Amino acid sequence: MRKPIHITTLPPTLEEMEKRFRIPKARKKELQELVEEFKSTHLVRDMAPPNLIDSEKRRKRASAA
Amino acid sequence: MPPPPDPNGVFLNVPYDKEFSSLYVAYIVGLFHLDLVPHLASEIPGGGRRLDRIFKLIQSCRYSIHDLSQVEVSVAPTAVPRFNMPLELGITIAWEKLHPSRHTWYLWESEPYRIQRSASDLNGTDAYIHNGTPEGVLRELSNAFWSDRMPSVPEILENYRWIYHKLDAMLYKNGTSNPYDRSVFMELCYISKILADLTHLTKPAV
Repeated sequence: MRKPIHITTLPPTLEEMEKRFRIPKARKKELQELVEEFKSTHLVRDMAPPNLIDSEKRRKRASAA
Repeated sequence: MPPPPDPNGVFLNVPYDKEFSSLYVAYIVGLFHLDLVPHLASEIPGGGRRLDRIFKLIQSCRYSIHDLSQVEVSVAPTAVPRFNMPLELGITIAWEKLHPSRHTWYLWESEPYRIQRSASDLNGTDAYIHNGTPEGVLRELSNAFWSDRMPSVPEILENYRWIYHKLDAMLYKNGTSNPYDRSVFMELCYISKILADLTHLTKPAV
């Protein structure tokens, strides 16, 4: 198996790609609502700053001990 | 000579089958999470010879993935062999031979060693084996490519599942049952790009 290729160039931004997507405005709004749903169900914990997550872990470890 | 290829562009040569749709969505979601941008023949607007348009798209991408996992003839009495994918692979191989710095192609299969029987001229080419599962596609994508901010395979898989769950609604909204239609492909790209960006944002800086 060949060595994995390291992708070093960043892809175009969403704004830059929107020309290619050509999604009608009304539909885009619906898709953005879906994204909001995703954010609310998937990103709540992950969005917390790393130090907050660490302190939460420390607190749990301390209470377990 | 065409302009230099998009360094993040990946031409996807996959079967346009309903049974393949879960793997197709996994390719789209996975590539965006690896900082790559998938391209599909159906995204090219009409006009001119289809083969010319496909060749142009291949030339515009730095990489291509050729999934030959579903080349078998179906049992229907009118079934004919599927030649499009091997044809597009052949064109790509010739393009890479002529301009190796401009293009790199990858071969994907669901079963190990089958490619040696279906296309023995490809002996010596390592195929990425995805076992016919979305998990396998994502695993093999991360074996083929990596970027500094790529999420873990389980994280990508979670995002994939969420997007795949929305596919029926996307088909309905676009008045089609074909997930390979341009409009559906673009919506899948749009959502995948946003989710990939969100996931990258939540990753600590390296």
